[in-house]
Amino acid sequence: MAIINQATKELQVKIVYYGPAMGGKTTNLVQVHDHVQTSAGNKGKLVSLATSSDRTLFFDFLPIEAMSIKGFKTKFQLYTVPGQVIYNTTRQLVLRGVDGIVFVADSQYEKMAENVESFQNLEDNLRSLKMNLADIPYVIQYNKRDLPNVAPVEYMEFLLNNRDIQVPSFNSVAHKCEGVFESLNMITRMLLNKFISQNTPQYA
Amino acid sequence: MATLPQLIEEDIHRLGLYLQELLRHTEASTALIIDKGGFLITSQGNADEYDLTTIAALTSGAYMANQTIANLVQEANFNSVYQQGERHSIYATAAGEETILVVIFEADKSVGVVKYFCEPVAEKIVSQLKIAHERDPDQGLDLSILNVADTSGVFKKKRSKRSA
Repeated sequence: MAIINQATKELQVKIVYYGPAMGGKTTNLVQVHDHVQTSAGNKGKLVSLATSSDRTLFFDFLPIEAMSIKGFKTKFQLYTVPGQVIYNTTRQLVLRGVDGIVFVADSQYEKMAENVESFQNLEDNLRSLKMNLADIPYVIQYNKRDLPNVAPVEYMEFLLNNRDIQVPSFNSVAHKCEGVFESLNMITRMLLNKFISQNTPQYA
Repeated sequence: MATLPQLIEEDIHRLGLYLQELLRHTEASTALIIDKGGFLITSQGNADEYDLTTIAALTSGAYMANQTIANLVQEANFNSVYQQGERHSIYATAAGEETILVVIFEADKSVGVVKYFCEPVAEKIVSQLKIAHERDPDQGLDLSILNVADTSGVFKKKRSKRSA
């Protein structure tokens, strides 16, 4: 859960990028790291626990201190999970304490089954942590829209965004930084608004 | 899933005093209290020397990963991780269900001493968190003052060099 530090006037939140393997989760973090506009010293190092072939092994981690909101320093901790099916235990560990989720789907036709499986896996893992996706702000990002073999957005919406309440979704080309900041700002907006409407926030 | 209680300035102050006491007894350089989700709650010691935000995230991940490994080999009694270094070592031990006490100390100091003094401090942290749990849950900050209706500008993209 997010932490509001009353002593130092800090707000800390955890956003996890989830999705199938090779879908662009790490690329999202790299682009945020490379392009985000922050004051000097407010952007932490991008830590990547990856294999030699650049596949995420445990997680990527990027701390950013964004602009102050009403006197509160907002510290965002961005995480990715490993997308490969075999690393499910690791995904569960990273999801602990999550406040908001960006689901990064791969738009290529042949990846639809993996997208759906990953989304179901997200719901299962949240349940194992006694959390419910319906209670957690999330957005969906349809990545790799620049490739020739992409599925129509309407079809992907039907597959992934067909719950009782539809969530915001974004087309993206993460390696060109298109759609990356739009997704991040929307999940930020959703989860900060959720804090306001909660009666029992976390304080520190 | 259990969550952290509401902590107020008094809690943070007391937790800070416990960490100072721990540093005095062990001659360690830095002590942290972190949440198992990876957040840094508070720290004492050489905070400027290290990137404590990242240390908190990675230590939490390492602790949780080791706990999972312990479970896989049917080891139920897991509550600490010790990283032995040539210059600095790190000891992380559970402080209740939700938090981890982390101590960074010079490698020539005894880990036994660190372990010995961490135990009572971890108990004090748990006691303080219990007090916080039992406090009036409505007491605290009014979040509505945050007024974050428009967050579109929280993360801004840098202008490209061509357009700048």
